[in-house]
Amino acid sequence: MLELLAALLVLHLSCIALLLAATINNAWWMTNKVSTDIWARWTLQADGGWNYTEIPNVSAKEYLQAVQASSVLACIFCILGLIVFVAQLYTLPKGRRFIFTAAFQLMACVCIMIAASIYTDIFHKDEADGWYGVSFVLAWISVCLTLVSSVIYCTMRKKTV
Amino acid sequence: MLSVLALTSVVLLGIVSQTTAIVVYTSWEKHALVGTDVRLSCSFFSWQWTSPDVTFSWQYRADGAKEGISIFHFAGGAPYQDSKGPFRDRLEFVGNPSRRDGSILIKNVDFGDNGTFTCDAKNPPDIAGHPSSVRLLVFEKVPVQAGVITGAIIGVVLGLLILIVAIYYLMRFLVARRVFSLSMSKHGKKGKGKEGSQQKQKPKVPLVFISF
Repeated sequence: MLELLAALLVLHLSCIALLLAATINNAWWMTNKVSTDIWARWTLQADGGWNYTEIPNVSAKEYLQAVQASSVLACIFCILGLIVFVAQLYTLPKGRRFIFTAAFQLMACVCIMIAASIYTDIFHKDEADGWYGVSFVLAWISVCLTLVSSVIYCTMRKKTV
Repeated sequence: MLSVLALTSVVLLGIVSQTTAIVVYTSWEKHALVGTDVRLSCSFFSWQWTSPDVTFSWQYRADGAKEGISIFHFAGGAPYQDSKGPFRDRLEFVGNPSRRDGSILIKNVDFGDNGTFTCDAKNPPDIAGHPSSVRLLVFEKVPVQAGVITGAIIGVVLGLLILIVAIYYLMRFLVARRVFSLSMSKHGKKGKGKEGSQQKQKPKVPLVFISF
């Protein structure tokens, strides 16, 4: 059943893509003039250009670094999960489940959930003008996707033709 | 051949010691809390022996000021502190000139001490060289440097992961080896029956058509 294998790979690759987009793009919180978050802040200038500046010294700097660390770890675990999945395809005995891969995906899910939860609870709670940006939405979507992926890996068994 | 090499190296060393300048070393930046004491270290490298006429001089240029003022001078074996400027009574010489150390201690720093301190050392006859500067930054609360916590968290988690995986494989290896040696000693060549459970560790699965 090559289609199942292909579908699993597509799911895993899209998890990686979403996680990378959420981590790298500085768009967790946006207003009309500002697109900010977890690494730096983009400010819209009067002449139409965007300026890349540091996030101003808020009181919750340590939490921001925790969000950074968690989301980077989620990316790392997801990519490692892909490598482990390919390795397990070749080394797993017949009839066994892909537990190792599922464990990595679950760790990625937990990490990105930690990152998204900390960010939701600590930052920009009292700011009325502004909305959550692309990266924030992608982070929460990756929580679901990695969880689904992990559950699927837990139920798959290795079979040789 | 060897003598030619030795001669060349001696000549080169002679040339080099005449033409290189003195090199002064200080820190790049110093961070300090308000009210604490700060030690500004200054040291130099010179091809000549440390002469008894070695001199150190420190200058201070405040943030936003155009020129610097001299605040400290060491010459002829004695230190001379500035008794009129912003650092009167707050500056102490804690260096050891015979060991090429010209460090000063500034006590009770305040926000007005933010600025650049320049150290210039001269070791006669080696006097040509650039002075070196250290920036002093005074904080109310020592800030968390960007990325320290991030790096620490990532490092710890990855380290734990590697440790757990290593321990897991080590346990498997040890158990397999112990079981193998046990079966070897009991049954000679053929390990029978009850130790068959270790077989699941190392299958040779063909690489053809892997699917579900």
